Amino acid sequence: MFAILQDVRFGLRMLMKHRLATLVSIVALALGIGANTAMFSLAEAFLIHPVPLENADRIIALVDSRPGQNIDMNAVAPATYFDWKQQAHSFDQFAAYAWREVNLTGDREPQKVQTFQVSANFFGMLGVQPELGRAFLSEEEVPGKEQEIILGHALWEQRYASDQHIVGKNIKVDGKAYTVVGVMAKGYDFPLPAEAWIPLALDVKANLSRNDRWLWVLGRLKPGASYTQAAAEMQGIAQRQSELYPDTNKGWQLRPMRLSDFATGSLTRDYTLLLLGAVGFVLLIACADVANVQFARMTGRANEFAVRRALGGSRWRILRQLLTESILLSLGGAALGLLIAQWALYLILSHMPADVARFIAGWKTISLDTNAFLFTLAIAFASGIISGIAPSLLTSRTSVSQSLQESGRGSVSRARGRLRGALVVAEISLALVLLVGAGLLVKNFRGLLNVNESYAPQTLLTINLMLHDTQYTTSAQRLAFHEQVVQRLSAVPGAQGVALVTHVPYSDGGGVNMDVFSIEGRPRVKRGELQSAIIETTTPSYFKIMNIALRSGRALTDTDGADSMPTTVISASLANRYFPGENPLGKRIRVGGEDSTRPWMTIVGVVNDVHYSWINKEDLPTIYGSFRQAPPYYTTIVLRTPGNPLQFVSAVRSQVAAIDPNLPLYNIKPMDRLITDSIIGIAYVAAMMAVLGVIALVLASVGVFGVMSYSVSERAHEIGIRMSLGAQTKDILRMVLRSGMTLTVLGLGIGLPIAFALARALAALLFGVEAADPFSFIGLPLLLAGVAALACYLPARRAARLDPLKALRYE
Amino acid sequence: MEPLIQMRNLEKVFEAGGSKFFVLRRITLDIQRGEFVTFMGPSGAGKSTLLSIIGMLDSAWNGEYYFLDQPVHKLNVKKRNELHKANIGFVFQSYHLIDNLTVFENLEIPLSYKNVPHKERVSLVCDILDRFNIVGKKDLFPNQLSGGQQQLVGVARAVIQNPKLILADEPTGNLHSAQGEEIMQLFKRLNEGGTTIIQVTHSERNATFGNRIIQLKDGWVVSEEKAATLSANPQANL
Repeated sequence: MFAILQDVRFGLRMLMKHRLATLVSIVALALGIGANTAMFSLAEAFLIHPVPLENADRIIALVDSRPGQNIDMNAVAPATYFDWKQQAHSFDQFAAYAWREVNLTGDREPQKVQTFQVSANFFGMLGVQPELGRAFLSEEEVPGKEQEIILGHALWEQRYASDQHIVGKNIKVDGKAYTVVGVMAKGYDFPLPAEAWIPLALDVKANLSRNDRWLWVLGRLKPGASYTQAAAEMQGIAQRQSELYPDTNKGWQLRPMRLSDFATGSLTRDYTLLLLGAVGFVLLIACADVANVQFARMTGRANEFAVRRALGGSRWRILRQLLTESILLSLGGAALGLLIAQWALYLILSHMPADVARFIAGWKTISLDTNAFLFTLAIAFASGIISGIAPSLLTSRTSVSQSLQESGRGSVSRARGRLRGALVVAEISLALVLLVGAGLLVKNFRGLLNVNESYAPQTLLTINLMLHDTQYTTSAQRLAFHEQVVQRLSAVPGAQGVALVTHVPYSDGGGVNMDVFSIEGRPRVKRGELQSAIIETTTPSYFKIMNIALRSGRALTDTDGADSMPTTVISASLANRYFPGENPLGKRIRVGGEDSTRPWMTIVGVVNDVHYSWINKEDLPTIYGSFRQAPPYYTTIVLRTPGNPLQFVSAVRSQVAAIDPNLPLYNIKPMDRLITDSIIGIAYVAAMMAVLGVIALVLASVGVFGVMSYSVSERAHEIGIRMSLGAQTKDILRMVLRSGMTLTVLGLGIGLPIAFALARALAALLFGVEAADPFSFIGLPLLLAGVAALACYLPARRAARLDPLKALRYE
Repeated sequence: MEPLIQMRNLEKVFEAGGSKFFVLRRITLDIQRGEFVTFMGPSGAGKSTLLSIIGMLDSAWNGEYYFLDQPVHKLNVKKRNELHKANIGFVFQSYHLIDNLTVFENLEIPLSYKNVPHKERVSLVCDILDRFNIVGKKDLFPNQLSGGQQQLVGVARAVIQNPKLILADEPTGNLHSAQGEEIMQLFKRLNEGGTTIIQVTHSERNATFGNRIIQLKDGWVVSEEKAATLSANPQANL
């Protein structure tokens, strides 16, 4: 123990002696370790504990998917849920839930609240109980008896001022009286972003439905049952269901998911892993930098190690001493890295809009906790060993007698030179891969912003509202409301146009709902195929406000009313996909499958596509119906303004309140904000990758500079001889530059194919990104080569300015 | 009593470009316990290489080498290191003190490599500081000492572990004559105390402190002779 303390003491002394090298190493490691610690904290929140439930590891989510159509998580049909409850043996319970947005009215300001309809056993199965009151009872799952509500803690605090006697009181939910039966504990908001819960009451018809997939199902494993066993059993059941009910189940695949994976979602998981890989690369580059610094320092100390060996020090003792110094360096880096990580997390947390953060599983738990501290300590030790092992091993292998006979001057080994060169090559390769990844993600983000510029989103105001069915029972009531909204808002001074549409692009965080539709006269869609489109109900003004150009036929007009022939306008992508080589005008389509009772709509026009979601690369088929022919409950107001849309919010509120004072308006945002909120995840990933790319670029150039500087001092004697033999400044410059740029070109040569493979994988996922992107594959390597050339030039200039006499005398 | 060192047909060869360069040729010699032997010869004769081999710092050679009856040529690295640690101390021409350690810490190093407990180490270092009269220098770093003082510490470091053999490679090469004399007197006293000493030197005067001179040339032992008696006038033998 004392010997180790002695190593530590001496190590600290050595580090203090070479302050500049120590500082450079600590900063490099701090950047690498800090990035890893911050990313670990995110990964821990997203991947390890996204759901704060004690028995989360026993809960399996059972979702439907259609791999061929890019649907990786879909709800299931109620009948399927009941089949599972009867047939599965690996689970002791199943619970189900469904999304439902409600309006709270009555005693206070109207407020839209995100609730979830949950089965009575939902809370019990998850192992949570309300803080006040009780959970739901099984008799409350019956239609007509489900008018109970459990409040989330935040809603209880904010709307009901933490009323301790709230349980048993009635509140108005969508105009109906609901009894508060409980209040959940602080921080509990599963399924995200639940603000309240109401019972899931399925009627007989719903129970039998196999086609409408709207129920999310969770199962709890029986004691002793494993995830693998349960997944295998459920796949068997799903296979039987597919054979029994081919019309509704063929083409769908059951996907059992651990609760953490389900809550996080595939994209968050993939991007988190991508960023974990990226920070790993940065740390490796930092380690390579430090290894190079260590090489230089240890070469200068070859004599010391030889003396130690001559005095009886074993190779292991020398190695231990060197690794101690290396680990001390990385612990210094870790200390600074923790500060960097704390700062990075502050930036990450503070820039996320609250109304986006509430949808992200685990977001609230992001912090530098004990696990992050232990992780930092572990990677500090690992970094110390990674960066120190090669220099230490080579140094401890140095010939003792040779070193001693060279009067204290370290010997230059070819192996050492080759290894240092290899480290620089690796740094350049890794930096290039990171830069290309960052470049593609930034391009993706910019592409998503640019694609929507056609409709000038910065001057559009978007507002959601939802009419509840108790007050707006008939189509006529809803139509009257919508017409009044359009009329009143059109008269608002300064408003340049108003439209209603079900969903604007990029709403719901970029998630897109697509519904099945049928084409008149076409054979029924083959089993396992899905003919679906986004269904929009809109005012005729929507196309003009959104600058959606008409391609053929006509747009919707005010004459497309309830009494006239049902009409529709379709997007070009729908026309191309489902009416290739034929004129769709005059053809009839309807929402729903074979058994749909919805009316046939005649296609009267084809319009350009609008990009709907950052998730989808392709344009999505869209059907626009007239709001007069099917007045919706849920709609989005789109208001074109001359400047800042937020200045119109109060006018819109007062005009809507004048029609219905109990109707809450929500998601009030300028359209550009809605888009950026939707793609903020991409923005975060792009920004983080860009920062990591820049760090990698800087570290790699520091690596090149370090190696070339050291090489110049090693070769001072040779340079002196060359100069004394007539070499000119430009010859020396060329010699040093050539040597550095050879390493750089080698690094680029290795990095480019790896970067290209990464680009191909990303291009398949990202909008506006091509695998052979010229900026990424010509611009970024040139940038890296330019920075490396500068890093070589400085030592080269120093070499060219060497005084040959001094260099020779020194030797 | 068996000799301390026995060498039989020891050879060291460098191979480069397909050619062999012999550094040492068929070295056969015995060194008895308590001897003070001097290796002499021109540069490139192989003196320092032979010293390194005796000190077990160099293991790339052929032939037989027995140290305290142990066949060094058959020992693995670990055993060689143990033998070396237990019995051999080095003194170098360039002192080779570790720049970043104080005098005290420099003296402590060989003991720490022998896993001597801390308390005992401190006690041994204090003894040696006292014996060499350098207590006042214990907290100084090597660059704060004169060459003579550094070499004094170098000898103290070699002696601290009480070795059976001290190997000294040009121990006075970087010192002026008075300091060199002092160091050689120190070796003489150590030898008289029973420590075997082998030195490499170009100095005829230094050779007279020993009792046997072995001349090397081009890797061969070319002669062995008894050292001349130490003259009362040092200048006479320089």
